[in-house]
Amino acid sequence: MALSKIDVANMLTGATPVANGGTALTSGFQNGVDPRPSTVPIIQNGDMAVSQRATSVTGITDDGYKLCDRWYEYLSSLGTYTFAQEAQTSGNAFNNGFRTAFRIDCTTADASPSASDEFWWGIKLEGQDLQMFKKGSSNAEKFTLAFWVKSNKTGVGQVNFRDTDNSRMCSGTYTISSANTWEHKIINIAADTTGAFTNDNAESLQIQWYLDSGSNYEGGATPTAWEADSAGDRNASGNLNIGDNTANDWSITGIQLEVGEFTSSTLPPFQHESYGENLLRCQRYFQHIVSGNHKLISYAHWASSSQITFILNILEMRAVPTIDYDNGNDYWAIGGSSGSTNTIDSLIIDGYSTNKCVGLYSGTAAGGTTGYAYYGFSDNASARLALVSEL
Amino acid sequence: MFEGCTIKYNKQDGVNVSIQVIYPDNSNGSHREMSVPIAEGNTDYQAILEWVADGNTIQEAD
Repeated sequence: MALSKIDVANMLTGATPVANGGTALTSGFQNGVDPRPSTVPIIQNGDMAVSQRATSVTGITDDGYKLCDRWYEYLSSLGTYTFAQEAQTSGNAFNNGFRTAFRIDCTTADASPSASDEFWWGIKLEGQDLQMFKKGSSNAEKFTLAFWVKSNKTGVGQVNFRDTDNSRMCSGTYTISSANTWEHKIINIAADTTGAFTNDNAESLQIQWYLDSGSNYEGGATPTAWEADSAGDRNASGNLNIGDNTANDWSITGIQLEVGEFTSSTLPPFQHESYGENLLRCQRYFQHIVSGNHKLISYAHWASSSQITFILNILEMRAVPTIDYDNGNDYWAIGGSSGSTNTIDSLIIDGYSTNKCVGLYSGTAAGGTTGYAYYGFSDNASARLALVSEL
Repeated sequence: MFEGCTIKYNKQDGVNVSIQVIYPDNSNGSHREMSVPIAEGNTDYQAILEWVADGNTIQEAD
């Protein structure tokens, strides 16, 4: 019997559909509309699954991108830390589908930071990926940030949204109520009708979780409306002070940024990506090429008496990348001509490179035949080569 | 950010095309090295420009 009307409502609840009857589907989500204007997560690697650089780094005393892709930390004279991509095997974050987290452990404490010392962790985002917030227009949207967090310390943490195009900021706080327990937090950030995000590939927004700071960042008040950037407001409410004891740790995962205002009952689910999809989005900013001994870089060409050229076709990056590598005695070499191997003293990015294709040439090299093809490779267990185009 | 680093231009066909940043040696004699393109959108290049604005000088190419 053909159906002229499909009973979708009963199908969704598991009840037996009523032939030629029932109630037609009128909504895609529980609250009646698909809440997302973006088809992919706005934040990359919110589940900390991709960590091309390392899975653990010790002795951290300065700022940079150290561990899980896209996540940055600013650290200025405020203790020493170990970062780890921590596997999750139990707990509330695990039970909600998160298998990895970014963990920070204090290994050398600084309980009395100087006024200008600070430690925050977060992400920097391109302006062209944020236009759906319509910031700077009369239709500006609110922001909702959600995440799972765990620490040995209870207390209040401050999160700042810093518009680096217009030097503005707006903030929220979260409270860790139970020590050593994964808790889900949601922070709503106001809409801003002032100051549009520049529509380009440069940094427009920093999201900062303040972990500790000196008095320069604590004297003001947490701004719940957008305001001109103010140093004294950046950690006005935070009291986690992760750097004050070597027993301290702080972990985070499941970070999602949504357009609009949501509560714990209306927040759309975290958008899980396959590892491959996640990795591809991260590689816009960082591409690990090789690490370890006897790994290929690319074909090479002996261009002149003392210079070898390499061409790397790469996934398109945000901008022309930096070549970031470890070097030492016999770290890099070429081979190919009659089985011979010749060492290379340095790798230099050339002037023809783009964000899609990188040309390298050697500092000096000897022993090859001009015009012949070779291949470049790592020649030491500690060799490492990456392309970096972070914000 | 560049404490103890050697920072110098790389020349190609007589033109400065990139900047080599050589970090101090580790205990095993190896070191980190960056080859930074002279490209406006590259944030390492922007950091070098800030370093220069602070009164430092990029060495000429060898």
